[in-house]
Amino acid sequence: MLRPRKKRAMGGIPTASMSDVAFLLLIFFLSTTKFDMKYGLGLVLPAPTTEETVKVKLKDDNLTKILINKDGLVQVNESIVPLEQLQEKISAMVKKNPDMVIMLKTDRQSNYNNMINVLDQLRLAGAEKINLSTN
Amino acid sequence: MAKIKKSPRPQAEIPTASMSDIAFLLLIFFIVSTVFVKGKVIKVAMPKAESIDKIPRSHAVTLYVDKVGNITVDDYSIQIPQVEMVMIKKLQQDFNMITCFRTDRETSYGVMADIMNQLRKANALRVSFEAKRKL
Repeated sequence: MLRPRKKRAMGGIPTASMSDVAFLLLIFFLSTTKFDMKYGLGLVLPAPTTEETVKVKLKDDNLTKILINKDGLVQVNESIVPLEQLQEKISAMVKKNPDMVIMLKTDRQSNYNNMINVLDQLRLAGAEKINLSTN
Repeated sequence: MAKIKKSPRPQAEIPTASMSDIAFLLLIFFIVSTVFVKGKVIKVAMPKAESIDKIPRSHAVTLYVDKVGNITVDDYSIQIPQVEMVMIKKLQQDFNMITCFRTDRETSYGVMADIMNQLRKANALRVSFEAKRKL
């Protein structure tokens, strides 16, 4: 006698929560990824001096000397200026004379950070003609 | 009078079966396209500044300078007199190259001045001092 065979129940893996898992992972990676962007203070260095270089003499009125010593003190035209007031002072100078060239002279033993702080303030003040030098 | 039976409206459903496919596709895309920054040998704590611009990564050549004055380009350690030669080669590959300084805050400015002199000799005049955004 033949008895009809019982159909076996199909074994299935529940996939309903698969999208939840995938989205969870996706959101985790999206939120933890940090792009390594490059930001910086741009500057164009002067061309190397050769014998053919023509020296241009600047008028004293068009030149501002800023000195930074090894302790980070900032001197503008023979007077010491705190970093907080630098932007205001330079901004006034540049507005009065747009041809103003700023010479930023940093002591060799001074920290790089001091120079960047001053350069940042100069750029915030709208100075465009900046010249870097050292002793 | 015979009542006309309203046929039940079919339930509107959004098919969500392919949702996991979409999520996995996105996930795999992000996993594949993510590039991890290799751990650098040189440790550098960058300065902070406000007036910073984005540097185009495609033209950037990064120069790492640490506290003590060790210089690294493309994971190769070099000395100050070699900077000129390296930069000339880099400039040949990309004329619009920008030299990005990743310099430690505490590096003395003298090292930077020497490197910048080398850059001038190599005619690599576009530089950028990398900094983090001041909050």
